[in-house]
Amino acid sequence: MSDALKVIRSADRIGTQQVIAQLITNFFPLHGDRVSGDDPALTVGTGLFHQRAVVVAGVNRGATLEERQRYHFGAVAPAGYRKFIRGLELAEKFKRPVITLINMPGADASVAAEDDGQNLAIADAITKMNGLRVPNIAVFLGEGESGGALALATSNRLIMFTNSLYSVASPEAIQTILKGHVAAKQTLDHILPMQAAALKKLGLTDVVLPETGDLVQSLDNALQQQLAQLSKLSTAELIEQRQNKYLELVAQFAE
Amino acid sequence: MSHLPKSNLWQTCSACKRHVHQGQWGEFNICPYCGHYQRLNADQRLVLLTDTKSFTALPPVNIKQQRHFPGYTVKLQEAQEKTGETEAFLAGTAAIKQQKVVIGVMDSQFMMGTLNTVVGAGIRQAIRTALSQRLPLILVIASGGARMQEGILSLLQMNTILAELTKLNEAGILTISVLTDPTMGGVTASFALESDFVFAEQGATIGFAGKRVIQQTNSAALPIDFQTAERLYRQGFLDAVIKRENLRTYLGRLLMIQAGDLNE
Ligand SMILES: [Zn+2]
Repeated sequence: MSDALKVIRSADRIGTQQVIAQLITNFFPLHGDRVSGDDPALTVGTGLFHQRAVVVAGVNRGATLEERQRYHFGAVAPAGYRKFIRGLELAEKFKRPVITLINMPGADASVAAEDDGQNLAIADAITKMNGLRVPNIAVFLGEGESGGALALATSNRLIMFTNSLYSVASPEAIQTILKGHVAAKQTLDHILPMQAAALKKLGLTDVVLPETGDLVQSLDNALQQQLAQLSKLSTAELIEQRQNKYLELVAQFAE
Repeated sequence: MSHLPKSNLWQTCSACKRHVHQGQWGEFNICPYCGHYQRLNADQRLVLLTDTKSFTALPPVNIKQQRHFPGYTVKLQEAQEKTGETEAFLAGTAAIKQQKVVIGVMDSQFMMGTLNTVVGAGIRQAIRTALSQRLPLILVIASGGARMQEGILSLLQMNTILAELTKLNEAGILTISVLTDPTMGGVTASFALESDFVFAEQGATIGFAGKRVIQQTNSAALPIDFQTAERLYRQGFLDAVIKRENLRTYLGRLLMIQAGDLNE
């Protein structure tokens, strides 16, 4: 897993801006949450994906140190989740599918984020995604951890690149609670499924994309394919498919 | 280690560190020296909040698969022996000041009330019971957040509980959260703050990220009242901060308003 982490955290990892630039035309970003300001860590906007209007929300991690500081290393702030909800409302108003792009660390651990109601902002975003009246597809370009990732990932379809991971907490944080029970980080995915292949086996991930070739091209194909499938579903079917997928998954363990 | 003989008769107050005799805590488990609220287990909480002998537990959650995280089985067994409960959540129907409710209580003494597959299933069961019996839902929260040992499955409790909770809003069923010490992490980023009314017990610690993590990434000192119920109340996240002694009466008065709703 160390190798995978290196890949997804590297400066040249495929990112939100690259995906938007190559796959979305006429992209118009939203700015601000109309409450407290704008969070540059999360880009939210609307544009055309193969002639079809969509809403895209993607996390920015930045490549250079200057960018990374501006984007707060991809730690989305409460204002970011509220801007995200604005995007979701826009999507519902115009019946546009939603695509989320995820590569983010865990929570924004700061006094400002706590004072600004980070927990409530995340809960509101999860609730909105749960009941979204249009199709939503989540894409893991890299890592996604904790409630913030859940807010972006609660969707009809989950697409993950092979090296990406989706976890309750960072592998490092989980490692510390293992306290020497497991020496090598390589085995962490076997104990707690968090990488793409293991999560597909669990039934959480729908599509695993290879790390070879043109990543944006293979994402393009996967998105078109999944959108075509979801376009056949009614609003009620979309909500039911999404909620049942998660309910059935957790009910396999306890109910 | 305490210099006192090992006995359950004496306990150390976690706030003022003074030794308190069992008989001095009183009905509400409050430190006689500093007024600190001792953390309660699920049974103690139910005794304080519900009418005598009114509580009937819901059927136990069916545990189908256990996660195999190193050391986890032992930890679970220790928690079960310590608390006498199978998991960190207990729910049932009860009466509060003669008004029937569904009440669910998290137990901070069981692995810090962390949210896992079983606790999540219990909370969803409580929500479904409130829906089918058309009863108000009261959730008493005490949790350190998601249980790491169950990984992504713990995280997925958050959206699945929220999905069920939304159905109560659509059905016009009253939901009340009572946040007690501690209410942290994943529970606050999901159901804890989404009820119609969100109350906190006086002195409760409430927040998302842990203080230690925040301190690691921020050099400035934390505000003195950081992540306290009182601060969150001032910031507008809570509807009231309530003394433990008054909670039951307070809830009873809120429930009473429902009698004035028009029935269709
Ligand atoms: Zn004391």
